[in-house]
Amino acid sequence: MLELIDLSRRFGDVVALDSVSFSVAEDEMVGFVGPNGAGKTTAMRIALGVLEPDRGEVRWRGKLVDQRVRRRFGYMPEERGLYPKMRVLDQLVYLARLHGLARGDAATESLRMLDLLGVAGRVRDRTEALSLGNQQRVQLAAALVHRPEVLVLDEPFSGLDPVGVDVLSGVLRERAEAGVPALFSSHQLDLVERLCESVVLINRGRIVAAGRIADLRSRDHRRLVRVEILGAAPGWYATLSGARVVDRFPDGAILELSDSLRERDVLDAARTAGDVRHFSVVQPSLSEIFREAVRS
Amino acid sequence: MTVESDRGTYRLVARREFLERARDRSFLISTAITLLVLVGFIVGTSLLNKGTRFDLGVVGADARATAEQVVDAGKALGFEVTVRDYPSEQQAEPAVRSGSADAVLVGSTEVIVKSQPPQQLLAAIQSVSTKERAREALERTDLPPDRIDQVLNVQPLPVRALEPVDERRRQSSVVAFIGVLALYGQLFAYGYWVASGVVEEKASRVVEVLLATIRPTQLLRGKILGIGSLGLCQLMVIGGAGLAASAAVGSLRFPAGALSAIGIVLIWFVIGFFFYSALFAVAGSIVPRQEDLQATMTPLTILIIASFFIGVAAVQDPSSTLATVASYLPFSAPLVMPTRIALGDIALWQALLSAAISIGATFALIPVATRVYSRAMLRTGRVRIREVLRVEG
Repeated sequence: MLELIDLSRRFGDVVALDSVSFSVAEDEMVGFVGPNGAGKTTAMRIALGVLEPDRGEVRWRGKLVDQRVRRRFGYMPEERGLYPKMRVLDQLVYLARLHGLARGDAATESLRMLDLLGVAGRVRDRTEALSLGNQQRVQLAAALVHRPEVLVLDEPFSGLDPVGVDVLSGVLRERAEAGVPALFSSHQLDLVERLCESVVLINRGRIVAAGRIADLRSRDHRRLVRVEILGAAPGWYATLSGARVVDRFPDGAILELSDSLRERDVLDAARTAGDVRHFSVVQPSLSEIFREAVRS
Repeated sequence: MTVESDRGTYRLVARREFLERARDRSFLISTAITLLVLVGFIVGTSLLNKGTRFDLGVVGADARATAEQVVDAGKALGFEVTVRDYPSEQQAEPAVRSGSADAVLVGSTEVIVKSQPPQQLLAAIQSVSTKERAREALERTDLPPDRIDQVLNVQPLPVRALEPVDERRRQSSVVAFIGVLALYGQLFAYGYWVASGVVEEKASRVVEVLLATIRPTQLLRGKILGIGSLGLCQLMVIGGAGLAASAAVGSLRFPAGALSAIGIVLIWFVIGFFFYSALFAVAGSIVPRQEDLQATMTPLTILIIASFFIGVAAVQDPSSTLATVASYLPFSAPLVMPTRIALGDIALWQALLSAAISIGATFALIPVATRVYSRAMLRTGRVRIREVLRVEG
């Protein structure tokens, strides 16, 4: 288990982290979610020892994380960084060796990773000659090349094309099944929902919710309906007392119903408003859970 | 999988620094150019300074006898004469025309030259021939042979030089000048490499990936060792090539002196490089981009250039007050002390004292430099040294 315990950190007058505690179990893939400036990157940098906390500690398998332990971590910083002039394979072999792999293993693993991430054809090229998307793949390979025991990835999906997203998702799933837990931050909540069983929600340096997505959902007792109407006038639901808009999209919305409001009343109002294409009772999505957690 | 030890870590860093740079095409090209210029210079000067030589043709046995004395006279005057026989005057003339003979002596009657007579050779021939004809004339008188010898073998006038040339010292000066030049270039180039290497890691943000795995001290130590080793290797290759070229053309009259000069340059490169590299690393760590490096490097640049000029002046006057003081200051000693050692102006203990001061200063500097470097590397924007030294953590 990777444990972040009571981490606090200020930058001048800004409190970046305020008593942040959460953990990642050994077989878990955990999404780390929050708005920009919430403290995700600060927490991850502290976990990797790149930044010192003002207070608190990080433990892996019960042991305080020091440099030796950290060498078995895989890290992808938010600000990507590779040697621009170094050849792709040399670069990966070097980073693998810094993480403690012997020369032969480092070469084998580097080639395997590059192949897995679909950049095997570019191993002899200088890194700066690759497209940004491919550089991102090399960056991922760098985080994975030494077969780390745990992965900490800061926005690993940002900058990837849909194919890259699929490749990375596959690699992360495969690693999780092999018992390598991952903590990754992302703004793409649908992606987090698809990939992770658990999430940690952070806002303004504080953890607002954490746990299995299913548990967070079941704790959320709101009644939500999704309605899609063709050609309805905006604000058609204004007549319904006790309905609150949770989310809005073209030709539709998700409404939260108060206890007094019945689903059928909503449906009636919708039919009056126009052609109903869709009507269903839904569970809160991750973004709704997040909004709710931040609101309360 | 095997896990490298902590000790291995900075070696891995050093190895990368060494190999990545040694493989760089521009490095290979510039090294090759340096070698070419150096070898060309040595071979060129040896061709220019090659002792004067003349080819003297002779026709007939009398001429041959005279020519042999001309050879001896030439040796005494510092030039070499090669004698070649021609069967007849007609056959000798084309040789003079073509330049394969500088002059031809025909019997004891005539000297043939092309147009401008080679003065040194001609003077020697005339002097030998005058003496011979004088002897013949004297032998026809009643003078006894020992008197004739007495008359003819007069000793040349002794010459007293007011400012004699010390050949060994002259060569030492040349070697010392080349040494100062090499040290200056090397300290500058490799110091700059440390600074720009540090900026490269900072600007490309690869430093965050690295520092998640290794400590800043390991990164810094590895970088300095790797780049320094490359500088040392390059110096050794250049020094070796220079030595080999000099030996091949025979221009090295004091090979032991040159060898020890190269040794002194190598030692002082190491001392100077460690001192300056710590400063260059700091200069690199506090700026965000390569474009900003020039500004923070300027004080170092001025120090090195000023030391270089003092070092060059010391070749002329190694015991001036300025040179004496500068040879004990850590920043200028690497560029001034080698000259004074090569010119033999100082005792061993003085050289050791100067080296000890420089090494001591470096050891005092390294913790401060490491502190600034460690704290500045993960910051963005221009970092103030005082600020990072003050802040905790």
